[in-house]
Amino acid sequence: MKYHTPWRWNPIRGEYDASAPAALQGTGEISAIDAFSNRTMLLLGGTGFVGKVLLAMVLDRFPELKHLVVQVRRKKNVAGEQRFYSEVLQSPPLRPIVERLGGEKVIHQKVSIVEGDLDEPLCGVTADQVAALKGTVDIVVNLAGLVDFDPPINESIEPNVYGTQHVIDLVQALDAKLVHISTCYVAGKKDGHISEDTPIDGYFPRRGENANEHFSVPEELKWCEQFIAETRATRASNPRPVRERLRDGGMERAELWGWTNIYTYTKSMGEQVIARTPGLTYAIVRPAIVESSMNFPFPGWNEGFTTSAPLVLMGGAGVKGWPVRKDGPLEIIPVDLVAAGILIVTAAVLCGKHKPVYHLASADQNPIMLPRLVAFLGMNSRYRHKHMKSGSRLANVWKAYVETQVITVESLQARRARIHRGLDVIHAALTLGKTVLGGRRLDPYLKSLRDSRRQIRVQEVTLDKFLPFMFHNSFIFETRNIREAARMLTNEDLKRLNWDPETIDWADYWVNIHTKGIEKWIRPMFTTQKKTAS
Amino acid sequence: MNKAAFYDLDGTLLSCNLVNMYAYYARNDRNVVKSVYQLGKVVLSVPLLFGLDLYSRSLFNVFSFRAYRGMHRDRLVGLADDLFEVTLKPSIFPQAKSVIDCTRDLGYRNVLVTGTLDFTIRPIALHFGIDEVICNRLEFKNHIATGRVLPPLLAENEKARSIREYAQQEGIDLSQSCAFSDSSADVPMLTSVGHPVATNPTRRLRRIAVQNNWPVLELREDSSTLPPFLTTAKAL
Repeated sequence: MKYHTPWRWNPIRGEYDASAPAALQGTGEISAIDAFSNRTMLLLGGTGFVGKVLLAMVLDRFPELKHLVVQVRRKKNVAGEQRFYSEVLQSPPLRPIVERLGGEKVIHQKVSIVEGDLDEPLCGVTADQVAALKGTVDIVVNLAGLVDFDPPINESIEPNVYGTQHVIDLVQALDAKLVHISTCYVAGKKDGHISEDTPIDGYFPRRGENANEHFSVPEELKWCEQFIAETRATRASNPRPVRERLRDGGMERAELWGWTNIYTYTKSMGEQVIARTPGLTYAIVRPAIVESSMNFPFPGWNEGFTTSAPLVLMGGAGVKGWPVRKDGPLEIIPVDLVAAGILIVTAAVLCGKHKPVYHLASADQNPIMLPRLVAFLGMNSRYRHKHMKSGSRLANVWKAYVETQVITVESLQARRARIHRGLDVIHAALTLGKTVLGGRRLDPYLKSLRDSRRQIRVQEVTLDKFLPFMFHNSFIFETRNIREAARMLTNEDLKRLNWDPETIDWADYWVNIHTKGIEKWIRPMFTTQKKTAS
Repeated sequence: MNKAAFYDLDGTLLSCNLVNMYAYYARNDRNVVKSVYQLGKVVLSVPLLFGLDLYSRSLFNVFSFRAYRGMHRDRLVGLADDLFEVTLKPSIFPQAKSVIDCTRDLGYRNVLVTGTLDFTIRPIALHFGIDEVICNRLEFKNHIATGRVLPPLLAENEKARSIREYAQQEGIDLSQSCAFSDSSADVPMLTSVGHPVATNPTRRLRRIAVQNNWPVLELREDSSTLPPFLTTAKAL
């Protein structure tokens, strides 16, 4: 469906403009089409959420690219090549593109697969393959890594730090250039505008607080190795599981330097490893929170739980109190803009006109403030529960007609304490009733109480994970570099790639694209996951 | 050359009672106190709207959009789906979807031409599988509705003008196109195409239709005879 109208929504002023903004005129200093013509790209991590969209976009928009090498990890007994054809190409974002290009045969000629893993030296690419690829691969785009926020520290360090070192070794062995995908949140616990010009090597968020503190990756890795070895050595004497101790110790270490979690801590170290390597041509791309696609491959494509999907699902389930900053934006960016941004940076690197760091974010041009999102969550809950046939009538009315609220962390804690006290009282009453009455008549109630307790606890943990982005810190990531790079493209390139977060109509995006995308692609997975868990 | 089927919305495909819609937004305000206050306003404004409708249609239009003044655009967009489920979907005429499907199958591009607002139409258009929408938009200042409509206000002659403009821009042959409307106010829109269809016509429009030998279509009933130009095309 399309509106036929001369009016264009201007999200920044909150008004309709009488005409569309003038199309961006490129200076032509970078030509993406020329840069990709007859070049070969090696893609690491092409199986992830961003990876698949990037893969689809390269295949769809740049037929000039000579060849694409995709590294795919073997999964148990499924070979990488088989995984690529049965899993990746059959996925919703790629299937329509592959069909449009003329089926798998065309892809066979254009794409070749190497099997490998970040954990292995040279990412598991064999010496023969390196010899074959050397001189042909011009650029390596690395999207691989572990995006879990708080895993045991060794599980995060291996792909995100040592893995990055393996990527660098591979890039140098191939004599290629590197585009490495990191995250905006390597900035750590900071507030306000985050610059792209802050030096990478030796960075830690609390730098400047104490002149005697210095951060260096080799020393930090030494500490980590020692910590991991010590924790494992005390397996017998310490009753707590090793994995749990590795996670808690890692979180403590990350917070000591000022990072929000193990993920951002190891990702920052990965960046620093790159910045320390002499003679390497690289650009680091830092997307903010990557969300459902705006247009490409189709509106609302979303995958996995690393986006704001858990929040949207919780809002849809009827959570009312949201601890967010009243004046803070949520730094989200649609996945197709991220893919376009990565390709713009790749072209800039190939042309030798790149900067070291590119933020891909929205808030410095067109921020979406958190209270607005909280209101959207409330309206979604209203819609869902009004038309819900299952569940308790009373609870559904409550969830439909009571609006969401912006609250502080303190009142959130108080609320939680109240709820748990209330549940304790109900639990005590039920157990007492059971002893007095005997039998199993009250068992169903006890069971449903246990279930709701578990659900509440899961919601609490999820919300806590997001607190650094919603409450504790309020970031605005500067995006000057990507805007400059987009301005340097040719007009022909700009028809294929655009960087325009300033035009996103957030109300339409959140309500009609993002929320519906999550309902369609994430909720079914979420419910099956819950079923298998219980 | 392409051809298009232009549809009016209110009274033609469904009957969206304006008071119902206001009452919906009032019922779904942010809290109970506000809801009660808004509902009170709706109740008070009903006789005024009735009077205005009798006196002047365009004044009625201007006044009816004033009800949105002060509302945040996020709320209007965010509640649109619910509004559709609650007040609009039950009022869709039984035959509406099958006629739209029929014109689509016969190669017409389906276009809604209506004075209703953009966010309200979105779920309706998706429900019917409409291709394009020509509609009114509210004016906003800093995301808050001012209660005015962005020009041009779509009604009567303006509908015909926008259809002609649309046809010119999109390369559509109006003499091959058709239009569906229920009201005599849309006569300019009906006469600007080759195949006008008086759909659930008011008494005045029925008279005009008979005079001009236009086919009459009843979508409010469970079955109806399609206008001749559609039945012959379908038979082929």
